[in-house]
Amino acid sequence: MVQLNRQYGGENNTDEPVLVKVVGVGGAGSNILDRVMLDGIEAADMVAINTDVQSLAASVAAHKVQIGRNLTRGLGSGGDPELGYAAAEEATDEIRSVIQGGTVIFVCSGLGGGTGSGAAPYVVQIAKEENALVLGVVALPFSFEGRRRCAQAEESLTRLRSVCDAVVCFENDRMAEITLPRMGIHEAFAAADLTISQSIRSVTGILQRPGLLHIGFDDVCTVLRNGDARALFGYGEAEGENRAHDALAKALKNPLMNRGALLEETFHAIVHICGGANVTLGEVQIIMEELNRHINDQTQLFMGVGIEPRMGNRLSVSILSSLGNGADRPPAQTVQRTARVVQPETNPKVSDIKPDPWQPTVPLNPAPSKPVAQELPHRVAPVERTPERAPDELMLPPAETESPKSASVRPPVAKSEPKPLTPAPAKPQTAAPGKKTEAKQETLQFEPVSRGRFEKSEPTIIDGQDLDVPTFLRKNVKVR
Amino acid sequence: MARENIYVGLEIGTSKICAVVAEARSDGTLKVVGVGTVPARGVRKGEIVDFETAKRCVHDAIVDAEEKSDVEISEVYLGITGSHIRSFNNRGVVVLEEDREEIDEQDLDDVRTNAREVSLPIEDCILHTIIQHYYVDGQDGVLNPIGLFGKKLEADFHIVYGIRTRIQNAIRCVKELELEPADVTINSFATAQAVLEKNQKQLGAIVIDIGGGTTDFVVYVDGAVKQSGVLAVGGDHITNYISIGLKIPTARAEKLKVEEGNVTLGTAFPGETILLKDETGFAGREIERESLNQIIHARLQESLTIVKRQIEADQNLHYVGAGVFITGGCSQIRGLEHLASDIFGMPVTMAHALPMAGVTSAFENPQYSTALGLVKYAHLVQMDRPVAGGLIKNAFQRIRGIFRN
Repeated sequence: MVQLNRQYGGENNTDEPVLVKVVGVGGAGSNILDRVMLDGIEAADMVAINTDVQSLAASVAAHKVQIGRNLTRGLGSGGDPELGYAAAEEATDEIRSVIQGGTVIFVCSGLGGGTGSGAAPYVVQIAKEENALVLGVVALPFSFEGRRRCAQAEESLTRLRSVCDAVVCFENDRMAEITLPRMGIHEAFAAADLTISQSIRSVTGILQRPGLLHIGFDDVCTVLRNGDARALFGYGEAEGENRAHDALAKALKNPLMNRGALLEETFHAIVHICGGANVTLGEVQIIMEELNRHINDQTQLFMGVGIEPRMGNRLSVSILSSLGNGADRPPAQTVQRTARVVQPETNPKVSDIKPDPWQPTVPLNPAPSKPVAQELPHRVAPVERTPERAPDELMLPPAETESPKSASVRPPVAKSEPKPLTPAPAKPQTAAPGKKTEAKQETLQFEPVSRGRFEKSEPTIIDGQDLDVPTFLRKNVKVR
Repeated sequence: MARENIYVGLEIGTSKICAVVAEARSDGTLKVVGVGTVPARGVRKGEIVDFETAKRCVHDAIVDAEEKSDVEISEVYLGITGSHIRSFNNRGVVVLEEDREEIDEQDLDDVRTNAREVSLPIEDCILHTIIQHYYVDGQDGVLNPIGLFGKKLEADFHIVYGIRTRIQNAIRCVKELELEPADVTINSFATAQAVLEKNQKQLGAIVIDIGGGTTDFVVYVDGAVKQSGVLAVGGDHITNYISIGLKIPTARAEKLKVEEGNVTLGTAFPGETILLKDETGFAGREIERESLNQIIHARLQESLTIVKRQIEADQNLHYVGAGVFITGGCSQIRGLEHLASDIFGMPVTMAHALPMAGVTSAFENPQYSTALGLVKYAHLVQMDRPVAGGLIKNAFQRIRGIFRN
């Protein structure tokens, strides 16, 4: 028995320490940071990065980096992402020095403004160069904040998705679901920050808490790296007689989860159950059984149970997952994706090409970033000679010949870029982009699927299949 | 006309609401004296979704039954179904005190209470605790342990539970019509009483009741209920799929399913079509027979496979000796027998209720299996036989229990 105990303790100690850094970029980013600090987080470094000195001074973070000293002179970036990017670039070394050493780095920011949208992707890039697992935690603006702002946010999000391992994206519009319209604006924003902070805290908790059933850094990597960088997250906490059920229900109610409906599409998921010493096997069973109803057969579940005396009588359930998987993708991308998973050490090569400011180093379409790095060795020379053509070339799948036409067409300015970018190269290309379009159509087909007279009744979901949707549609049987 | 020993079974089904009135005769058999049935409205997937409408339908069915049987109905045995009904097996243990060696009735109660002590979600309540087997001092095969000597009494129970509020809905519907629910039971269990003979239960049998809104199943092994379950998918779904797939109105789809539906693939000639005549509001058209069959096949194959998988998961499939018994309105679809025997790999019987005296048309129609089963269940409960001993206990208390709070 004694030996057993020793082994148990030893196992935990030998685990290499997971150093978590939480980086807030821009005004919204530091708000999230403050919230995380306020809620308390164990052993994590907090870094605030901002152009605005006043906002930086107000932040509670231990490390602060002012970017764009010369460019903005301590003022904000005035809603201009280009300026934000340039400011960050100016402070590359400073950013690198505070980020260095982190194993898991959360980059929090509010998209749509200048600093957040512009600097965050750059910060992520530096973090990736430092070989960390980077999770973007971003808030999108309310739609009433104007189309321009939303477009900037969208663009920045696409960029983040291509560089981050996973992006947890909180749409402020959907945040409205968790608050009441009559609630004070302050409370509403606080509620949004709280949700975001919960997600950061629980991922950190999963990584750092010793667990009876431990979930390791590797498991988190598997779950988050495999997706198309859209992360799902749910957290619920409850106490009382029925806490297992309630906590899970709350976790599934998280706006990101879409009431568990999205879980069906995932291929890996982490479930972490944490409670005081009185967590029973029955409770774990209840949670897992209920959860199993929401996921499909192929999903790989990582279950973790942690005992945290501080939880007292409360029980918390965190669910972490990411959408999409390799198998569903067109073949070209599948190959790339496997390469990406197997060889994460190729990341640093991204840095081999010095990125043009605010010019995408990686394709703007949501294709994964690292496969690009894989292609690079063959192409390093031409890329360096004609740097402005680099993005183009990267857009194309390996077999494709580049089309210099589109390079000359492209305006050098960033904001107008994504619009010509996506449709323009799609036309001259033949094989591979065709596949991409196909994939898009497939996803579109999901929406109009009819449940007929059962539209409004409680869905019957078994093994992740909605039985109210006609079987022949689900099994793709052709009916005339 | 007052008669003694009248049982009324009420099934609030998705497609029809049906009340069966039966009379227990002195020789211990049952005679069906009247069946009242009306098409159901306000019920989806076996559960009430529109209370007032459903209540009116129940009222009509009761009135119909009263007229046909010439009996004034005051008490019904109510069948319950729905996707929220779940079940599991659990064992209870009781150790007798030092100075006692003979097992008495109190010990049986205790062992049952012991088995019921499981943590369920708070909104759930236990519907049934059905006895499977008793063990005295580890010795199995004990049918009735009362009076036996022993120190330790163990018993396996099949426990069925569901969400309290959703069970209450059906009970309230009956109560608001000034009827007393004498007992509630799950539909699948009632159906098995109507369909299976005692020796089939002993051999082991699967009863699948494919109704309008739900597919209920129950597995008997060694004469005891080993597993039960509800899949909230039934004939309604087939109609819905046909309506979506062939783009015809629901009513037309229902008619097409009943008249032309066949679950076997490859029976239609290539290009064989069915002509749908034009009616008001529907321009006639031709549809391919094979397409219709494919839609039905896909649905039923999936349902049966899910049931099989669930039974397999509990490793009960190999203990079934008497085969599969399929009943319910949807079992009338042509070719289902072959499909089911392909899936289960054992003999399949298209079953209807076992013959009773009285209205013969009722038990020849598989639609009435559950309602007839309810009166059989009532009969069992009333006779208070040791075999059924597990069911009877606290029938009234249980209803009160459901309504507590």
